[in-house]
Amino acid sequence: MKAPATAARAEPREYRWSMPANWWTRKRHYFFYVVREFTALPMALWLLWLLYDIKSAGSGAAAFQAPRSPAFIAFSAVCFLFATYHSYTFLKLAGVIIHLRVLDKTIPPRVIVLTMFGLWAVASVVIGAVLIGFAR
Amino acid sequence: MSAHATRHKTAFAHLFFWFMFANGGGLAALVLPVHIVVQGILGPLKLAPVVDQHYDTWISILGNPLVKLYILVLVALSFFHFAHRLRYLLVDFGVPAAKSLPAQAIFYGGAAVITLVTIWILLTTAPISFG
Repeated sequence: MKAPATAARAEPREYRWSMPANWWTRKRHYFFYVVREFTALPMALWLLWLLYDIKSAGSGAAAFQAPRSPAFIAFSAVCFLFATYHSYTFLKLAGVIIHLRVLDKTIPPRVIVLTMFGLWAVASVVIGAVLIGFAR
Repeated sequence: MSAHATRHKTAFAHLFFWFMFANGGGLAALVLPVHIVVQGILGPLKLAPVVDQHYDTWISILGNPLVKLYILVLVALSFFHFAHRLRYLLVDFGVPAAKSLPAQAIFYGGAAVITLVTIWILLTTAPISFG
């Protein structure tokens, strides 16, 4: 009698899928995907600095030091580049993520993206005006 | 009605984290660049008068409850977004453990801790005032 084919098979082995460590440098698209995800780190660091700046105001006028060092300006310039890239990529995705229907008509993705970029401009002007307008 | 009717269970945790991720990313995208360019570059370079360059204007605006609420929402939503992105960046870099429950606890727990610290800073730094 012939043995079943399955009995002759070896024990199933686990397939270990792995990617080379430098996969994200192989294509321009992969690289910018990783840059987009990485933007979270510099933005988080800058927000932590903002919390420190707020906390330092609690130590009183005598101890307060306004942020003016060249190192801080350089740090902010780097964070600004990453934050702007995050804004551009995230708001551009709004056309894919947000689906709106008004009066039984679908709003075209292009209109949604333009609206988000318009909101970005308005928010920037309003916050900039508050930060500068309440200064002396 | 079928005896085997599907029982729908709302995935509240999923809903919560996606809400925080999407809104955190959106809010950071809309407001963070202008904060950085004004408070991090224009003010320190003295190219524009900025509210946090002088103690009296900075402590005054920080006392406004709307400003406190705005900063709290900005930090809380943004950090849940950052936690999600950085956790999945680690997965992409070949760290599958970043998907595990302990990793989730560390990343989202970290965002929750930063949110609590923010509340503490906002409540203890400048007295609430509409002035």
